[in-house]
Amino acid sequence: MNAAIDIEDLHKRFGALEVLKGIDLRAQNGDVISIIGSSGSGKSTLLRCINLLEVPDSGRLTVGGETIGLGVNRKGEPTALDQTQVDRIRTRLGMVFQNFNLWTHMTVLQNVMEAPVHVLGRPKQEVRDLSMALLEKVGIADKADGYPDHLSGGQQQRAAIARALAMEPEVMLFDEPTSALDPELVGEVLVVMRDLAAEGRTMIVVTHEMGFAREVSSEVVFLHEGKVEEQGTPEQVFENPGSDRCRQFLASNLN
Amino acid sequence: MFDFFDLYGYGPSLLRGLWMTIAVASAAMVVAIAMGLLGAAAKLSDSRTARTLAGAYTTIVRGIPEIVLLLLVYWGTQQLIQDLGSAITGRDVRVDFSPFRAGVMTLGVIYGAFATEVFRGALAAISRGQIEAARAAGMSPLKTFFRIQMPQMWRFALPGLGNVWLVLTKGTALVSLIHLSELMRQTNIAVGATKKPFTFYAVAAGCYLCITIVSMIAIHFLERRANRGIRAGVG
Repeated sequence: MNAAIDIEDLHKRFGALEVLKGIDLRAQNGDVISIIGSSGSGKSTLLRCINLLEVPDSGRLTVGGETIGLGVNRKGEPTALDQTQVDRIRTRLGMVFQNFNLWTHMTVLQNVMEAPVHVLGRPKQEVRDLSMALLEKVGIADKADGYPDHLSGGQQQRAAIARALAMEPEVMLFDEPTSALDPELVGEVLVVMRDLAAEGRTMIVVTHEMGFAREVSSEVVFLHEGKVEEQGTPEQVFENPGSDRCRQFLASNLN
Repeated sequence: MFDFFDLYGYGPSLLRGLWMTIAVASAAMVVAIAMGLLGAAAKLSDSRTARTLAGAYTTIVRGIPEIVLLLLVYWGTQQLIQDLGSAITGRDVRVDFSPFRAGVMTLGVIYGAFATEVFRGALAAISRGQIEAARAAGMSPLKTFFRIQMPQMWRFALPGLGNVWLVLTKGTALVSLIHLSELMRQTNIAVGATKKPFTFYAVAAGCYLCITIVSMIAIHFLERRANRGIRAGVG
């Protein structure tokens, strides 16, 4: 069985700054991997490399057994060799952003239906039923015909999760999904994410929520300055970290 | 029925002129929007050639008075094509631009330069995250443009575009210089025949004002529609 995501020796630089310095990471189906680390550690960049929102400078990236062709364009910038391959692989990865990024000109239901209908070409009625079921599942079916701007942050993020799920992705990617939320709204989003994990969904979550990382993850990865500094089960990483930096990070973030 | 608009017998010809003004303005606006979309796409493209061409277009067109461009296109290019044609074929070549087409093209190209800046600003105003969400869902750049960027762009473009339309409408008065029978030319003819300048220029002024007021109401409703889903005072 192929790994859901397989990353080997991934490097990414922005100008002179090398943000990722050779990352190896493998997610098996059903894994929930939490990526933690201080800001600037490269954790969001790593997540964004997985669906090619950032194109890695070097390394190997394999999604569900399919390796993404990477190369360099005429200006010497890293680029994907085959854009249609990238678009296809993106349909298999659901992305949830820190700032929700729901499309402001569409209702919640239209947001959820957009990609299945207009990217995958699935029949509208079928997608509508699926979308309503997903909105039901994340608890905002009553907001289906509302516009994102009229929803609270927590409701918007739950809508964004439904939108990602509507593509029936193999892997869900979460980029600090609760960081832009008021503290009292964090819980409702985490509840939805816990449910997804309990269903056995493959998830990669960049997060500052240590409680979530500890209780829900099958694996925790601590990034520091573009490298994997500590990696293991939540028990290993949280109870008995080998690295001093990880210990310091946890000490200042656990309370 | 148009007794009150008889105006010494010139009422009907003024009405035809008004109609022609609206026709020229509408057709020129379509050209201007097309030019503006093309220009904005070129200005935001990765191709340096496209950016340079679009930059030259907006700079040249915005830097020359409309009246000079209009006369240059209508008389100048006609002459140029005739001279070039004669030189190449050795025979006498005659071309006649229709004033309507020349007027529409010239006004369209001129106001297209202003529309280019409006669209460029509007496209740039769409947040990066909106586009990233589309790309992350597997949309191609083209599909992202038509499904996400275009619909959102109107919200930012409409105020500027409405302004372009109002200025363009008044700019149509220049087309009277190339003998198109629009409102201004019909007015001048009536003034020449009746020697009643105040009456006729006042009527013409009223007509232009009417177009503007009707347009502003239409723009208001278009803006309201484009702002659906956006809370007032946010975003």
